[in-house]
Amino acid sequence: MRNLLNFLARYNNLIIFLFLEGIAIYMLTTGNNYQNARIGNNFRSITRGFEGRISKGRAYLSLMQVNERLAAENVSLKSRLEKFTKADNSPFFSVTDTLFSQKFTYTSAEVINNSVTRQKNFFTINKGYRQGIKADMAVISDNGAAGVIVACSDNYSIAMSLLNLDFKLSSRLKSNGNFGSLSWDGRDYRYAVLNEIPQHVVVSVGDTIEATGYSAIFPEGTMVGTVSDFEKVGGDFYKIKIALSADFRKMHFVEVIGNLKKTEELELEKLFK
Amino acid sequence: MINRVLRLSLLFVVLILLQVLVMNNIQFNGYINPYIYLLFILLLPFEIPSWLLLIISFLTGLIIDLFSVSPGMHASATLVAGFIRPHILRILSPRDGYEKGSEPSLHTYGVRWFVTYAAFIILIHHFVLFYLEVFRLSDFFRTFLRVILSSIFSLVFILLIDYYRKRK
Repeated sequence: MRNLLNFLARYNNLIIFLFLEGIAIYMLTTGNNYQNARIGNNFRSITRGFEGRISKGRAYLSLMQVNERLAAENVSLKSRLEKFTKADNSPFFSVTDTLFSQKFTYTSAEVINNSVTRQKNFFTINKGYRQGIKADMAVISDNGAAGVIVACSDNYSIAMSLLNLDFKLSSRLKSNGNFGSLSWDGRDYRYAVLNEIPQHVVVSVGDTIEATGYSAIFPEGTMVGTVSDFEKVGGDFYKIKIALSADFRKMHFVEVIGNLKKTEELELEKLFK
Repeated sequence: MINRVLRLSLLFVVLILLQVLVMNNIQFNGYINPYIYLLFILLLPFEIPSWLLLIISFLTGLIIDLFSVSPGMHASATLVAGFIRPHILRILSPRDGYEKGSEPSLHTYGVRWFVTYAAFIILIHHFVLFYLEVFRLSDFFRTFLRVILSSIFSLVFILLIDYYRKRK
């Protein structure tokens, strides 16, 4: 007994250190990223009011650019609407179901906390379960893919940013349809990397990259970015550097996109796995 | 004594706010994030018992974690820094020991001493932090480069803050 007490007295610092380090590592590694984000969600309810205020201040400073962007978007939406009203006069077609063949739902939200400086970036938006947000919904900033929702509380959600080493997005070259896997290499918040494009495909700087829709998260054709550079690596594939079209530094208003037919698609695909 | 505790608490609040509001938004070239809150751990008095130092460093890291989505990351890195601090102080101690009641800062023991002391602790802290962040060894050298570059920046910022802290 006395030896034990002596031992404890002698190594008490080491013991405290190991104990606290154990707690920290436990917090760090519990489960996968989803659970991690979920813990973070509870963990951070304390700081959220504070962050909301900062983000409001920032939003005020960028009102002018936001206005310009909204005006531009209005114009493009109006021109699309024009197309639809003209095409809609086919006489043998009448449906009363308002959700008929609608595949995606759109909600707008505000980013209240965001980071681009880490290797695994997440951002928080100001809508949650009560506003119909669920995990695995897509988030796009006004001009490109931005992330995926990983956890929700009643009024807030956390999204894994595209700027996260664990983020993968199936994307393709708009010009010829060849698809590959897009990920972030952790270097610069303006660029991502597209892999698995075979070398016989013609790639040129400035080509548009869009999402394929294979993951049933992002709608097909969502803008991702443009080719800024490419090189041949290994035997067969290109490594293409993509300039992302979403500006993660200035991201404030985002759209959250839910796929209404996702469960149906995944259930069907599960049968053949 | 009370005065000193008050001053350290004020420093703590200022450093945390500076870190969260300003430094966390700084990123040079994707490699460099300065972490200045370490200055608080560096400036704690010599006489502080090791167990208290450990608990304070753990809590400091935890508070920084509160403002990010990765609970535990800063806590474990800062804890390592707090654990290693007494050993580094012992190695760097001058021939006749540290003066009683003095502060381990730029102004009391000189630039050369403080730079060595700060550089060791910052390097160790950043090493733990950045490798825990990526949590893989595949990009070993790139992460190592980030550790070195960020350490240099943190060191510069910490020196500047410690220098201007006393002048007002």
